[in-house]
Parts: sequence; structure tokens; C-alpha cells
Amino acid sequence: MLLESVAYARPETVDQALEMLSSTDGAAPLAGGQSLINVLKHRVASIELLVDISRLEELRTVQDRPDGTLEIGACVTYDELEHSEPARAAHAVLADVAGHIEDQQIRNRGTVGGNCCLSDPTNNLPPILVALGATMNIQSAGGVREVPAEEFFEGYFTTAVGEGELLRSITVPPLPAGGGAGYSTVAVGADSKALVRAAAMVRADGQIEDARVVLACVAPAPFRHTGMEGALRGSEATAAAVREASLVIGEDLSPPGDVHASADYRREMARVVARRSVWQAIEQGGGRRG
Amino acid sequence: MVEADQTHAIEVTINGERQAATVPARQLLVHFIRDTLGLKGTHIGCDTGSCGACSVIIDGKLVKSCMLLAPQADGAEIETVEGLSDGGELSPLQRAFNEQHGLQCGYCTPGVLMAATFLLRRNANPTEAEIRRAIRGNICRCTGYVNMVRSIEAAARATAGSIDAAARASAGIDHKEEEAQ
Repeated sequence: MLLESVAYARPETVDQALEMLSSTDGAAPLAGGQSLINVLKHRVASIELLVDISRLEELRTVQDRPDGTLEIGACVTYDELEHSEPARAAHAVLADVAGHIEDQQIRNRGTVGGNCCLSDPTNNLPPILVALGATMNIQSAGGVREVPAEEFFEGYFTTAVGEGELLRSITVPPLPAGGGAGYSTVAVGADSKALVRAAAMVRADGQIEDARVVLACVAPAPFRHTGMEGALRGSEATAAAVREASLVIGEDLSPPGDVHASADYRREMARVVARRSVWQAIEQGGGRRG
Repeated sequence: MVEADQTHAIEVTINGERQAATVPARQLLVHFIRDTLGLKGTHIGCDTGSCGACSVIIDGKLVKSCMLLAPQADGAEIETVEGLSDGGELSPLQRAFNEQHGLQCGYCTPGVLMAATFLLRRNANPTEAEIRRAIRGNICRCTGYVNMVRSIEAAARATAGSIDAAARASAGIDHKEEEAQ
């Protein structure tokens, strides 16, 4: 397919990339390109200059700090995150989520930063990053500012990254003592377009001490379901109690309905994936009762 | 400052051979491979990154060549289906596809072969589930997946598998017995 005419540049540093992005009208960062190249094919965005950031070493590492904090560069690919030892040691659920994004070809090119910055509401990584309490590090010529993942995903294809800015890395704190994470999806087919997702982080010791429950695909951006979180807090860490707590999810959701699933079906499945993700988190954290 | 331009001088190594060319920034890698380098074994199926017919290996990584711009491959080592055989000699994987009838119309085959090549380098003895997962990005409109899986299993047995079997035999391990456990 012939794309619209476009210029291409491959800066050697993040500073150079930022300079290009802020000094050129219609400049856009190109990372793995697994969505952006299709955008160019469909000519739905007019881009004058592609700034290829995919090879910038500064953005390509996964690092772990002694306290267990993980820092993931924006241009780390899904495949690299899936197979990263520090990532798997600190957050196996996160590594598994990365390993179930579409197919091997896409995992070899698609980047963590791209998945977040596209902010497609069905994307895999945003809900788990919100659940884990990650921080998004956004760089501009003025320096780096930190935005909680919870505030980063603003809506359909919009994030907190402004003009002249780049997502540099994502900081994921370690799981708290007694904490575990979970993730559950209902999709059209294995590893394909999601109908509804939930991610959870739960701290439990026979009783649920704290819970973060994030729903995705049912609103323009992933969000914490504070109703279910409140219902979980203080309840017993049993499957029955989790099920009971999930019942508060319902009429408060206005999910989209389309050819793949009606709004009602998505609402019903939101409850199901929420309880599955919470139960997985409890099991992973070893805090179940009995 | 790095120059931003609409054409780019690039250099790639394709199936072991160095090639230099000037490419438009907007040229997809698959068009560079097919039209500029004349290697028509890499096919275009959907042109949207969904079907995997254009899969090639770049710097050891399986990718869809319709989802990259040619200048993004500057400096890369590219492997296409033409690079699998040695002269006229089919690779063990290609031979397995031939013997197990791992293709029907053959259109998706080059992409599937590259996906299977990537898999077997990473995992010499894949399970059936691992094989199915590895070709998840390759669509066969004839739905000939069963024989593809058989072919990849046969290729694994013919290469790493046989080495493994020899090692087991010399270590006195009965293969069937171990599988039964």
C-alpha cells in the first residue's frame, strides 16, 4: 500500500527526538509502529514527520531497583517484557499480560510505551498498570514529570502526554507484603480484541485488607471500580465473598455495544472478569482464607 | 541535528548479502523486499498486519514486513523465505512441510515458514500448544493448520529432536516411557 508522503528521521538521543517533535508541525513519534503504520495506511491522521524513537537505548531497558521497583523503558517490546527476568521476578502477571498481546510478530515490534500512548480502551497494558499503581514518566525539554497511571489514560486515544513530550518510562512499585495481582479478559478469540478486561491488586491475610480493581473496555479509559473495592475491603478472602462484592458492578457501567457484544453482555462479563482477577490476586498473594 | 528527509539511503543484509538502496520514507519494507530487491517469496496478504503472509525475520526477530517502513530496517539483517534453502536443498523445515503436506494453496506458506523458523530457534522441541501459539499471527485461508502443526512437529523431530533422542538413548532413557509419565 502506498502511504501518504511523509518524512522520516532517526534521532540519536531522546533530547534530539524532543527537539524534532516540538520544532516540526505534524511530527509524531514512531516506536514499534504496530498501530501507527496502519494509521498511516488508512490516512486517518496527517503526519508530516515520523521521529523514529524505537532504537534509542535510553528507552530500551528494563531495570529493577534493590527495593523491587521496576522501571520499564517506553521502547521495550512486549516480547522483551515477557522474557525480562527482572519483570517476571517482580510482576509475573505483568510479564504474562505482555506475552498475550496479539501474536509473536506484533510482540516482537510493539512497545510498552506505544501500547500506553495509543490509549485504545481495549489495550492490554493500561488496566494492569493502573492496578499496580504505576507511575508514567513523561519527558519534555524542561525535564521529566511523573503522572500516576490512574490519571495518564484520559480517554479514547488520549493520554496525559502533551505536545513536545514523550513517555520515557514506566515505574512499577513492588507488590506490598501479602499482595498479589490478577488479570482477566473476555476476548473475541485467544489473545485478540478484548470485550472486557479487569486487573486487580489485592492485599489479604485471610481477610482482604486492601484492593484495587480496574475495569477496561467498558469506558473510554480504564478506571478503578471504587464500589467493588469498598465492598472487598474488610471482607473474608473467600471466593464467595469476592463473588458477592462483584455484584455491586452493574447499572453504573455504560459499556459500548457493538457487533461483538452487546452493552448488557459486557456489563455482565465485567463482573465475571472482576472477580476472576481479584481471586487470582488473592491466590498469588497467598492470602486466601483456609 | 539529524536530517529529516523523504528519501533515505539504507543498507541491509538480506539472506547474507549486503544491499544498499535509496528508499522513499513512506515505502513499506515488504515493497522494498519484493519490488526493489525482487524477492517475491514474501507475500502481501491483508496489508494491515493481520495475516502474517509478509512475515520475515529481522535481526533475529519475526516481524510483519508490511508493518515497518523500509528506512526502519536500515542496518538490519533480514531473512526471507528465499534464505531458508541452501542452494537447491530444502531446509529440514521446508522438507517437513513438503512431506507432511503442510500447505494447500501455498499463499501463506512463506510467512508460516518464517514463523516456524523463529519458533524452532527459540524452542527446539515445542509442544503442540506452543506451535499453535507461535503461528497465531499467520492466517491460512484454506484453514490448513493441522498439517502445518504436524510439519513443524516433524521438523523439530528431524533436527533438534533427533539430537535429543540420541542423547536420551545414550543416557539409557526410553523416550516412550518418559512421555508416559
